[in-house]
Amino acid sequence: MGKLEFAGLTKSFGHAKVIRETDLTVEDGEFVVFVGPSGCGKSTMLRMIAGLDEITGGELRINGRVVNDVAPVDRGIAMVFQSYALYPHMTVFENIAFPLQVAKLPEAEIRRRVAEAAAVLKLEERLAHKPAALSGGQRQRVAIGRAIVREPAVFLFDEPLSNLDAALRAEMRVELTRLHAKLGTTMIYVTHDQVEAMTMADKIVVLRDGVVEQVGSPLELFHRPANRFVAGFLGNPTMNFLPAEATGTAAGGIAMRLAGAGEVTVPVEGGAAPGEALELGIRPDDLRLGAGEVRFRVVPEVIEQLGNQSVVYGAAETGQAICAVVSGGFGLRPGVAAEFGFDPAAAHLFRQDGAACPRRVVPGATVAA
Amino acid sequence: MTDASRIAARALGFRALVWGFTLMTIVPFGLLLLTSVKSKQDLFEGAFVLPDRIHWENYVTAWVDGHFSVYFWNSVLVVVPVVGVSVLLGLLTGFAFAFLSFPFKKTIFVVLTLGMMVPTEAFIIPLYYEMRWLGLLNTYAALILPQIAMSVPFATLFMASAMQQLPRDILEAALLDGAPRGLILRRVILPLMRPAISSLALFLFIWTWNEFLIPLVLVNDDSLRTMPLGMLFFQGRYTVNIPVLTAGAVLVILPIIVVYLIFQRKFIEGLTAGASK
Repeated sequence: MGKLEFAGLTKSFGHAKVIRETDLTVEDGEFVVFVGPSGCGKSTMLRMIAGLDEITGGELRINGRVVNDVAPVDRGIAMVFQSYALYPHMTVFENIAFPLQVAKLPEAEIRRRVAEAAAVLKLEERLAHKPAALSGGQRQRVAIGRAIVREPAVFLFDEPLSNLDAALRAEMRVELTRLHAKLGTTMIYVTHDQVEAMTMADKIVVLRDGVVEQVGSPLELFHRPANRFVAGFLGNPTMNFLPAEATGTAAGGIAMRLAGAGEVTVPVEGGAAPGEALELGIRPDDLRLGAGEVRFRVVPEVIEQLGNQSVVYGAAETGQAICAVVSGGFGLRPGVAAEFGFDPAAAHLFRQDGAACPRRVVPGATVAA
Repeated sequence: MTDASRIAARALGFRALVWGFTLMTIVPFGLLLLTSVKSKQDLFEGAFVLPDRIHWENYVTAWVDGHFSVYFWNSVLVVVPVVGVSVLLGLLTGFAFAFLSFPFKKTIFVVLTLGMMVPTEAFIIPLYYEMRWLGLLNTYAALILPQIAMSVPFATLFMASAMQQLPRDILEAALLDGAPRGLILRRVILPLMRPAISSLALFLFIWTWNEFLIPLVLVNDDSLRTMPLGMLFFQGRYTVNIPVLTAGAVLVILPIIVVYLIFQRKFIEGLTAGASK
């Protein structure tokens, strides 16, 4: 069992409030990813759960028990650090066995648990080595092993893959997802890498400046971002934002004038007064070359040919920077204008305060509203 | 001149300079060693002239007649507890200053720093009266206790700053693993502190071995004198026999050189490799 509840949780360092009142529930067995830019408070949140940082206000409950003043070891949590935090003078076996030795478990039980963890993490051959003799990926696995043997209710991961190279990161991502499926334990994972967030999470919590911007499944956040920040943070390359001016509310959604592209009606809920400034968001891979209901001209500046598709960085006639990911596109030349288009159903609409207008149609996804 | 030859010429200049300094340091030691194995007659031949045979008997004279055997063991009996206890106390107080919060932490830290700055000459007379009042004059305790007290401030500052260099994640990981304070200190910090402990022990060894004023003032029994003090009184007795005198000097500095050679590897050795990243 590992259910976590945050009730009005806050954290301040002196006068600086780094986590504003946060209410959040993490269900038992969930893989929750805290994501956000550096300094958004995601690591602080994790350290508060671990008991390494004091909670300034509110309550943190693990399985219904308030743990604000409970020592880290009694919270039933284990943490994997970004730097691995292995004991350099101990062998892999001793590193993994350390928490069990501290808990004064019988020797035979310690051996059994370490052997089990080593088998899961493919470390059997390395048990006699010291951390210095291991590769980055192996060190990270030892750190995970040290967490597993304690059989915690909740695993905490603080950017565990950020010190690995790209290939190893992808490999470890899959391994961690597999581990979660196997153990079924609650995992809370902090990262600034949106690919990790999108691929691993059951639930993503997007943070900015100590405020939870949105909580939801990866697809929900991707297709129904609550605001411009979430829309811009998730997705790679990032969403294009085009300034627009509302012309009124139509049956099909909000009608607007898009500079350089004419009239568009985006199928979203709610209305807009004529003249209201809006922003239309369109993901680079929703732009098509010479197709789509709404067309505008873009002058490509840099074209990255990826073989099956092209990533185009350029500017619209209005001067607005545009990024498009199109299939084919091999005829595109830098400096030679080309027509790009999109379907209004693929677009997102944001008001001036950044809030998103709820979309009516979510293409190609079955997403719980 | 090509770039490569210019660099080579500059390197040669540096090397000559370094060799010059090295020679300046080594020659007096060499001369000391050389003199200590000469006879008095050899000495008159010239300082740099080699003796016809090695006169080990100078060392025997110094060791036996010069009481260096007594002084040596006294020094050992003083240095070992002073270094051992100071390092142990330094570990504990350093841990407290590095990781714990307690009332008047900053004030106590300042007091310790002040303790390091006050020269022995400034408190030697009150210390003499204190020792007399305690009835400890002319005992090993008079040599050991004040030197422990004098070493603790430095040991504390040294250990605290070394512990603060440890990766914080490792200590937090130990905390999350459920290790209590004592266990973290013993099983995690202590093994990682080995290079720092070696350096500290070496510093304290050298200082305590060379300490002169405390044994001079607090002890006047020849059977309690330490090496540097023994050297002084030895000089008085053997002023004419320079080879025996230099043999005594070699006996005084030899332990320092031996200890340094043993510990200097730990000086350089880093134990935190592979801890993180």
